[in-house]
Amino acid sequence: MVGAIIIGDQTDAMEDKHSPSRFCSYQAPWASMELLGKSPIARLAEDLKKDCDVVSLISNDRDSQHGNATHQGSIADLAADRFEDYKREGLGTVLIVQCGSYVELDVAEMLNFHEVRGVGVTRAFSDHAPLDIWMVDPSGLPDHVPTLSTLLRATPAMYHSQGYVNHLRTAREFRRLVLDSFHSRCRLRPQGPEIKPGIWSCDGAQIERSARVVAPAFIGRDVYISAECLITRGSNVESNSRVDFGTAVEDSTILPNSYVGIGLDLSHSIVDGRNLLNLRHNVNLEITDPVVMRQNTVGGVHRQSWASIEAGSLALSSAE
Amino acid sequence: MLTSGPVVVMQVPEVLNVKEVRNFMDELGPLLESNRPRIVLDCSQVRSMESAGVEMLLRCLEEVLKRDGDLKLASLSPEAEVILELMRVARVFETFHTCEDAVRSFNAIPAEAVPQNTPWYSDVFSELGVVKQAS
Repeated sequence: MVGAIIIGDQTDAMEDKHSPSRFCSYQAPWASMELLGKSPIARLAEDLKKDCDVVSLISNDRDSQHGNATHQGSIADLAADRFEDYKREGLGTVLIVQCGSYVELDVAEMLNFHEVRGVGVTRAFSDHAPLDIWMVDPSGLPDHVPTLSTLLRATPAMYHSQGYVNHLRTAREFRRLVLDSFHSRCRLRPQGPEIKPGIWSCDGAQIERSARVVAPAFIGRDVYISAECLITRGSNVESNSRVDFGTAVEDSTILPNSYVGIGLDLSHSIVDGRNLLNLRHNVNLEITDPVVMRQNTVGGVHRQSWASIEAGSLALSSAE
Repeated sequence: MLTSGPVVVMQVPEVLNVKEVRNFMDELGPLLESNRPRIVLDCSQVRSMESAGVEMLLRCLEEVLKRDGDLKLASLSPEAEVILELMRVARVFETFHTCEDAVRSFNAIPAEAVPQNTPWYSDVFSELGVVKQAS
């Protein structure tokens, strides 16, 4: 049996972490942000459910609506506890993924490699750079492993992953993942039906007749695109956002629950509520004028960075 | 005969919200009412600008143009640049990298002041000894 532990944040779980730059609005890692309808971490959890018997997601997302947040303590402690649980339950192999990157991993191939090599720990690499993905045999380890980070410092076998990798360390990499998906350079597909070639639109999305959407583009769930708007050049408007009259959105991402005002020219940017990150000028601005940008409360939906993770066989823990 | 005063350079405050716009206009207002006002706004300190700030810039430009003057922006901070682009007004203003460049631009000889009766190449040709007086 194979179990998986997804560590949803890198705050303190591992010692050899690299800190990804985070968007200032709520300091969440890029992997947990909604991207083309679903966060990369939610996609990873779903993917792993196909190959693993049990999947646990450990996060410190305070907004999580789904979690049975009974655990207290740090993410590292929670991850270590879950690992001990798996060990007690007699799982043969545990896949540990510290989710900061978007990785298209062939779990079956890695498992095969791990079994053939017969060492206790295998780590995934891409282009000779280590990824935060390990495969561990709990049975081959001493009874008491002090912390997960100690375990993962062990010298591992190196498994070279051939799949697509995006480290999602920066806003540019986040945007690159959007464009790579639009251009089919990775397996990540936008949610919802493709209403025209290269244009995806989710349930509840409303696009006014006089608005123009140019492919490739993504319009998320319950999004409202007002009259005379232009959405173009690889832009994605995520769920429950609103783009108001006459605004042009070019090569940009509008994150969930954002309102973008009337007659604006938004280009090469990422918007999250009233935060604007312009990638061309490398400027992060807080827009204090609610007429221009603000958190969209029209739908009354609270921000849920893990929103698209479905319950079921997925155990979800949240550090408070 | 048209006359004009010196070029005035003013520093735009770091935050341009409704309150700051009012304070700034108290200083800038009298200048706008002068004859042919020539104003450079130094935007190097701007970190945040609300729609009231953008509106103020547009009103100022309108006023100076009415009085046959001009208003130019200089040393735009990246933040100011992003906001002006976002609000679709960046192209309305003449912008300069430095205040010195903006001031100099007021003193540049306008194209219509250059005598137009000789073709541009005549100087070059005369230096080469090619052009001969026809008569």
